[in-house]
Amino acid sequence: MRRSLGLAAMAVLVSPALAWAADGATGGWVGPFAVIAAGIGMAVAAGLCGLGQGRAIASAVDAMGRQPGAAARIQTAMIIGLALIESLAIYVLVVAIILLFVQPIK
Amino acid sequence: MDIIEHPPIVRLPGIPDHVTYTWLVMLILVGLAVVGSRRPELVPRGLQNFLEVVLEQFITLIDDVIGPDGRRYLPLIATLGLFVLVGNLVSLVPGFAGPTANLNTTAACALVVFVSYHWIGVRTQGVGAYLNHFSGPMPWSLGMIPIKLLMIPIETISHLARPLSLSLRLFGNMTGGHILLAIMFFLMGLDGLLGWALSGSAVGIVLGGLGSLITAVFTIGFIYPLKILVSFLQAFIFVMLTMLYIAGAIEHAEHGEHHAVPV
Repeated sequence: MRRSLGLAAMAVLVSPALAWAADGATGGWVGPFAVIAAGIGMAVAAGLCGLGQGRAIASAVDAMGRQPGAAARIQTAMIIGLALIESLAIYVLVVAIILLFVQPIK
Repeated sequence: MDIIEHPPIVRLPGIPDHVTYTWLVMLILVGLAVVGSRRPELVPRGLQNFLEVVLEQFITLIDDVIGPDGRRYLPLIATLGLFVLVGNLVSLVPGFAGPTANLNTTAACALVVFVSYHWIGVRTQGVGAYLNHFSGPMPWSLGMIPIKLLMIPIETISHLARPLSLSLRLFGNMTGGHILLAIMFFLMGLDGLLGWALSGSAVGIVLGGLGSLITAVFTIGFIYPLKILVSFLQAFIFVMLTMLYIAGAIEHAEHGEHHAVPV
């Protein structure tokens, strides 16, 4: 049962590549996998980035609640931290854009 | 990228779009500066008042982050910040391209930051003291030499990663937003829901009409304000990181406190 499920998953993953290869027009078989990789990579990056930013914001808001006087400084630090966390997801976005539009590997 | 994103409406033949719109941003900024400072008054009014408020915001930020020594770098920081901000905002005008949504522009800005903060560091501390920064904050002694040797490649890589992350962050944010907007407009438009509504089928008129209305309200009411917020935020972050790098470069080693400067 599990094996047939695995085979079915493989078939779903591989079939666009086979269809593409059967086309033969654009050549390589990497293209469809690149699309899948871009999607999965962006999903993982966005999800984990959201998790990390959520933790950062939670503790920043916690700190602002404890010390409203320091709210401005905490907010600045929080925004910088958020930008640095976000840039990790942005790297994945750039890689996804390269995979989708520049297509260095066909 | 032309597959999903429509090229800008106004294009100069033979010149890349981001260069054209960089010139537009330069025109806007120089024009504002010239008109605003043509007849400077002691009690500012109108445009002069507005520009002074903007620059005072930059000065407040610089005083907070770098300290009183930092006002010398106001021209560099404010120019970069205003250029990035206006570049981000120009790209939101329908039919215009964004200079900051192109990696060449952001990489140019990041390289300017990279070169100038090293130059500022060498100028304020001298070559030897500045290079000493690269071996970490520990004092020189026999036991520390292996650790300091280990620190040198790490610090070098972290310094080299700064322009990379600075340029990719701005570029990725702007381009991602543009792709999102392009997809939303594509969904709304004649090839998408609106076209379905106009195609004549009864289901299409109801679902397509409702759908295009909802997408339009969502795009104009949520995504566009979000993009404006992101434009300001990214410009702020660019300026903030520039100031942190400069502050890290001019800070003296013997202070003992070593600020953790982010990449």
